[in-house]
Parts: sequence; C-alpha cells; structure tokens
Amino acid sequence: MKAGPGQLPLRRWLLRSAGKNLDHFAQDKITGTLLIVPALFIVFVVMLIPLAYGLLLSVTDFQLGDAGLGNFVYLDNYIKALRDETFFQALKTTLIFTAGVLAAELTLGVLIAVLLMRIPLALGKVLRTVYTIPLLISPIIVGLTWRYMYDPLYGLVYQTLDTLHLDQHFGGLGSVQWALFCVMIADIWQTTPFILLVVTASLATIPLYLYEAARIDGAGEFRIFFIITLPMLRNALIVLTVIRGVDAFRVFDIIYALTNGGPANSTQSLSIYIFKRGFANYEMSYAMALSIITMFVLFALFMPVIRKTRTEGLF
Amino acid sequence: MKQLHSGFWTLIKYAILLAFLIWTVVPVVLVIMTSFKTPFDIFQVPVKWIFEPTLANYEKAFAAGDFTLYARNSLAIALVSSIISIFFSAFAAYGLTQFNLRRAGAVSNLFLLGKLVPAITILLPLFIIMSKGRLLGTYVGPVLAHTAINLPFIIWLLMSFINDIPADLISSAIIDGCSKMQVFWKIVFPLLRPALASSIILAMQLSWNELLFSLQLTDVNTYTLPVGIAKFVGSISVDWGKSSAAATVTMVPMIIIGFFIQKYLVQGMTMGSVKG
Repeated sequence: MKAGPGQLPLRRWLLRSAGKNLDHFAQDKITGTLLIVPALFIVFVVMLIPLAYGLLLSVTDFQLGDAGLGNFVYLDNYIKALRDETFFQALKTTLIFTAGVLAAELTLGVLIAVLLMRIPLALGKVLRTVYTIPLLISPIIVGLTWRYMYDPLYGLVYQTLDTLHLDQHFGGLGSVQWALFCVMIADIWQTTPFILLVVTASLATIPLYLYEAARIDGAGEFRIFFIITLPMLRNALIVLTVIRGVDAFRVFDIIYALTNGGPANSTQSLSIYIFKRGFANYEMSYAMALSIITMFVLFALFMPVIRKTRTEGLF
Repeated sequence: MKQLHSGFWTLIKYAILLAFLIWTVVPVVLVIMTSFKTPFDIFQVPVKWIFEPTLANYEKAFAAGDFTLYARNSLAIALVSSIISIFFSAFAAYGLTQFNLRRAGAVSNLFLLGKLVPAITILLPLFIIMSKGRLLGTYVGPVLAHTAINLPFIIWLLMSFINDIPADLISSAIIDGCSKMQVFWKIVFPLLRPALASSIILAMQLSWNELLFSLQLTDVNTYTLPVGIAKFVGSISVDWGKSSAAATVTMVPMIIIGFFIQKYLVQGMTMGSVKG
C-alpha cells in the first residue's frame, strides 16, 4: 500500500518515507508481546498466583476443606515458626546437607574432570558417558537404590564394610549420627556427574598455551592446577554453586525415599518438614508460612552470588 | 627415577578413575540384577552376582500390576508437558530477543526466578487451588507443574541459541519482505531444530523423573512411575524384586537416551550458561 501526503498526517508520512514505518513498528511490538504471553500465562498460573495465594493463606488459620479463606490471624503462624525448634533443626540439617554435598561434589567433580583430560581421548569419552548415568535416574529411584545398598541384612555397604572389619563403627540409616551422612552420600553419588560435565566443558575452553608456558617455566602438575586450572574454572564453579546449591537446599526426593526425615528428625530437611506439616498434619496455613520463610532464606543465601553472576554476565 | 615417579602417578590416576567407575556402576547394576532375581536369591548374603534370571518380578509389576498404568501416565504427562514447553519457550525466546521489547530484561528475570522458588512453596497453594477446581487426580496438575519447571531453562537455552544466529540472516529476510512471524517459521525455527530436539528430551526426562508435584497432584488412576515407586518405598517392608523391576523400567530408557544426547546435557542443564 502506497501512501502519499494526502492520506496520512505529514509527520507520519515523513517518518514512513524515511524508512521508519510506525505502523509496522507498533505491530511488531504487539507480535512480540503476544509471543511471550503463553509462557507468561503458565508462570502466572503455576507460580505467581499460587505464591500470592500462599502468602495470603499464611496469615489465616485456613484448614484443608475450608470453603473460604479461614480467619485472619495476622502473623501468628510466623511467630509460631520462630518458636518452632523442629523448624530450626530442619534448617540446620538443610544447611549442613547443602554445604556438605556442595563441597564434596565440587571437589570430586573437578578431580575426576581433570583426570579425564589426562588419559587417551577415546577412553575419556567412554568413561565420561558411563559416569553420567546417575544423573539420568529419577531421585526417588536413587533413594530406593541406596536404601537397598544400606540394608543392614542384605545391603552391599554393610557387606563391604564387614570384609574390611569396619562394620561395627557404621550405624547406617537407622542411626542418628550416621543417617544424614548416608543421605548425603546418595546425593553425591547422583549429582557429582553434573559437576563433572560442566567442569569438563569449561576445561575445554582453557587455552593450551597457558599450560605450555607454565611448563616451560618449570611449574609442576599441582602448581599448574592451582595457578591456571582452578582460576580459569572460577566462573563455572560460581554458576555451579548457585545451581547445585539451590537444588540441594530444596532437597526432597532422596530423603523421602531413604529415611523420610528420620531417625529422630536427624535427616529432616526443610522441604520434608514442611511437606509433613502440610500434608500429613493438615496444618496448611502454618506449612505455608514455613515455606515462605524457607523461600526467603534461600533468596538471602544465594542472591548475592546470583547478582554477581548477573553483573558478570555468567547467566 | 623420573620415569618411576611418573609411572606411580599414572597408576594413581587410573586407580582413582577405576574406583569412580565402580562407585558409579555398582548400585545401578545391583538394582537391574535384583529385578531379575527370585526372592530367594535377593536375600542371599553375600550378594549373588551369578544367578538364574527370572522375569517373575516384571510380571508382578507390569503384567498383572499397576505399573503399566503408571508408565502410561508418565509417558502421557511427559509428552504433553514437553511439547507445550518447547513451543511456548520457542515463542517466548524469540519474542524476548528479536523485538526490542522494553520489559524483556524484567520478563526474563521473572522466568529465572522460577528456578529459585522452592517447589514446596508452590505446591501447597497449588494443591489447594487444584482441589477447589476439582482438578486433583487429573493430568492437568502435573502437566502444568512440569511445564512451569521446564519453561525457564528452555527459554534461557533457546535465547542463547537465537542470539547466535547471524543478525544479517534475519535482517536480510526482513528486507526481502518477510514478516517477523515468517522469519520465525522459515529461518529461526529450522535453525533451532537441534536445540529444540535436546530441549524436548531434557523436558521429557525432567517430567519422567519428577516426584514432588506428581505425588500430591495425582491419584491412584494418574500416578506416574516415580509416584508408584514412592508409594512402594513408603511401605514398611519393601518388595525389592517388584520395586527394582519398576525402577529398571523407569531408569533404563533415560540412561539409553542420555547416551545419545551427551553433548546437549550440559547446555540444557545449565540453562546454556556454560557453552559445551
């Protein structure tokens, strides 16, 4: 459609002939917005609306089956939470779990990734593929598998410790001292391959001449690792700390399968505790207050790192 | 002396890699083996590595049992949610990168936020909403939840792929008279095909393995495989034979698929932040 000065206001006609087609431009914006709408709709329905609703219910005494919202109780649920020793125990357990698995997985993942770079390429590829298997398995199955491994009568863990004459020290899933450690082992088993994959990808980007230069300068393997490899992995390790840290903090499946929080709450993570208060004790509004506190603790813990990754453009 | 030294380190290196191999493989092999054992063989101490295999556990779990239904539910939910996820994500990623929208940054941050909110925080109110809407026990709950979990990382992954498409390719198509949507279907979508293929597999994998949402939003008729296994594990004495048969059928397809999409795993799982 050709437009002359007669059919359009002069300014628009000028703009259009200058190549800036206003109508098209505005139409483009609408198309662009419409493209985002379906995804935004899902986020609204599954995230923002439930979040707002949960926030609302957390200041009421709502029970499952109530038709309305229940009575408004101000911050009673939150005050109750601050006095809830089991909640703080769950927070402590979750923090120990998160810090423990992160440290172990990062160390082990980097170690294996570095070693894989130093063996023949084809063998490294095969090994890496096999090492990835646990990552592909549903966490509930990982839990089941390890419960079988930890079985006091038929489990492979006890049998192995027995041949090494170490079994009398090991309490397994039934002991308050050992259960959390056992759960952490299962998690480390499952997610170390993830660290391994990301670190491997990141190692491949380190220029080889850096290593050669260091070698010419007479640096040994360990020194090269600490002055070149580790600093070059910094960005990957930060991203991994965020992704794995957030996941570990929300841990549910593995614990649900292995111990369901027992014995004596020693493996009860925040997600497990809130799940029980909400769905086993039917204290919905209290569970929601707990879950919202949990969300803010998670934000407080990881926001500084995330902000850093955002400003550095790592994400 | 030098040679002896390096020989020692080579030995240590391979010893560590071998130990890690055993540590990785043994639990999986054990479960798969157990699924082919008779109850008598399962309870042998020490573990029997050589035995006469039987399919009895599979018959118990699948021929007569409920796990056929659970497998069908899992497959339906995984397919529907992953197909919705990749189309919605592809639209959103294109919209966020190619239209200079003013709020594009804020919206993509909103999607990122979805990765940070604990599942349990969403599940409690979502459960009540679903129960008020009489949608508990249907596919709607898990499909919506899995789609929502998948959207952020697929959008981020696809955004990084779209940004890698040469700008000339898109602008020359527009000069030739293509509309933005024609550019999407004729240029961007075909170029994204490898990324979409890996996204859909990762999305299916997540849905196939997800427990928490499915656990509360389904009922006996719509249980997924992980939920079926969880209900099983929850009971006091676990039937190891039957549960390991169910576990084997759940995990083996994912392991096989995983072998084929090795190179996409990293990109998908880190939202494309670390280029593999």
